[in-house]
Amino acid sequence: MGLTSSELPFIVDLIATLSKIVVVFLIGLNVPPIMLWVERRVPALMQRRRGPNRVGFFKWRLWGLFQAVADAIKLIFKEEAVPAMANKWFFHLGPVFSVFPAFLVLSAMPFGEYIEVMGYQISLVAVQVNVGFLFILAMAGMAIYGVALSGWASTSKYTLLGALRASAQMISYEIPLGLSLIPIALVYNSLDLTEIVKGQSHFWQWGIFLSPLSFIIFLVCMFAETNRTPFDLAEAESELVVGFHTEYGSTKFAAFFLGEYVSMFALSLLCSILFFGGWHLPLLSRENLINLTGSVNLAALVGVGVLFLKAAFFMFLYVWVRWTVPRFRYDQLMKLGWKFLLPLGLANIAVTAGILALNF
Amino acid sequence: MSDQLVFWGLAGFITLSSVAVVTVRNPVTAAVALVINLFLLAGVYAFQGADFVAAIQIIVYTGAIVVLFLFVIMILNLDPEHLRSPRPRIWEHLVLGVVIAGFAYIGYRFLDSLDVGKVASNRLPDNTYDVAMILFSNYLWPFEIVSILILLAIVGSVAIAKKPK
Repeated sequence: MGLTSSELPFIVDLIATLSKIVVVFLIGLNVPPIMLWVERRVPALMQRRRGPNRVGFFKWRLWGLFQAVADAIKLIFKEEAVPAMANKWFFHLGPVFSVFPAFLVLSAMPFGEYIEVMGYQISLVAVQVNVGFLFILAMAGMAIYGVALSGWASTSKYTLLGALRASAQMISYEIPLGLSLIPIALVYNSLDLTEIVKGQSHFWQWGIFLSPLSFIIFLVCMFAETNRTPFDLAEAESELVVGFHTEYGSTKFAAFFLGEYVSMFALSLLCSILFFGGWHLPLLSRENLINLTGSVNLAALVGVGVLFLKAAFFMFLYVWVRWTVPRFRYDQLMKLGWKFLLPLGLANIAVTAGILALNF
Repeated sequence: MSDQLVFWGLAGFITLSSVAVVTVRNPVTAAVALVINLFLLAGVYAFQGADFVAAIQIIVYTGAIVVLFLFVIMILNLDPEHLRSPRPRIWEHLVLGVVIAGFAYIGYRFLDSLDVGKVASNRLPDNTYDVAMILFSNYLWPFEIVSILILLAIVGSVAIAKKPK
């Protein structure tokens, strides 16, 4: 396993890995504040309102960008209440269980091929796993425990119902999610995310062209896995208050937000990596980019920027869909998952494998 | 050296969580201990180079099976007080002691014949491809038969759970 990259001397590897962990952690931590702002400004834009645009420094309001900071400060300084009947241990562990898998998923994401620092080639992925997206599926599956345990530990009917709904939904949609990824592994002949992106160096080799059906299934499952509208049955406000985290407040509530936004971001990154060429620009190959910019490092940084832009589009899509599509009914959700997406995913695998078998 | 450290660290926590699974009173705590146990076991697999097995271990066991255990426990809403068994008798203690001693002896003999240090630092190269090759050539029939068996179990459980019309 690539727990240690063998070519580098130990001390270089250690420093590189530690700094990569810090960078990935900081990227993760910065997603929720930005998304908090986006989730207020974008709907305002869509509904022809102004949205929060006042918080800033003196006369510089910066489109209300500091609203996120104000929100974070407010959340952290709120009083924290623990329900008297709650199971204390799991009540406190719940937010931990939902933040930790999200960051683990993010840690296995490749942000680029490599950069050169003092003659050493350092890959731009914090944890190099040969079975990249299996690892990601595994860690995403762990997120269920955060939901289930915090919902149960709060000892409230709303939270328990929310937790049951959320975990049943996550288990159900994990299957089509996994099935939608198999054709990608077949087409690019690898389970390693870096290898998959390397296979998409030409525009017409992007996953969306080679396996369009996979993309559609993945997109639907992406929304369901993160419990976002139109699949936010877990926190249907009109029925369950806010579902599994009803009893939480203050920093713990913020932790659930952190987990949700980091896993949204990780899935957006995964979508760009698998279906939209990762760090490749359309119609400009990596070699040309290196020639154009004159250095590997600069080209890699441009690549990271491109990848982040692609992921940002999917983050925007999350918000866009949230303010466009109404919530599903629970039986519709289950029907869509088991009776439509599952057979579609299986058929997709059979067809893709058949075409590949005939070609080669 | 660091290999040994990681292996023994994981092994220690696996042992602790296994003991917790059978000794803890609260069923939810036991289920969570089982999750931690299976997760760390996947860590041992990953550290020996069996990436594929490690990932599948987490997806299948921690991601799906134990979640279902947890569901059942939560919905049944078991009170730890009701699960308290009556005080065991002397002969029950004795039988348990003999069984534990027997297992300890077998474990000791097994450890003696096995060079744990060597196994702990043994790391395989990337082997997902090899696993697939063996599974779909030498062991194709057993693999298919097992999948039919699992399918039968699923259909059977649905048939049993379905209310008679």
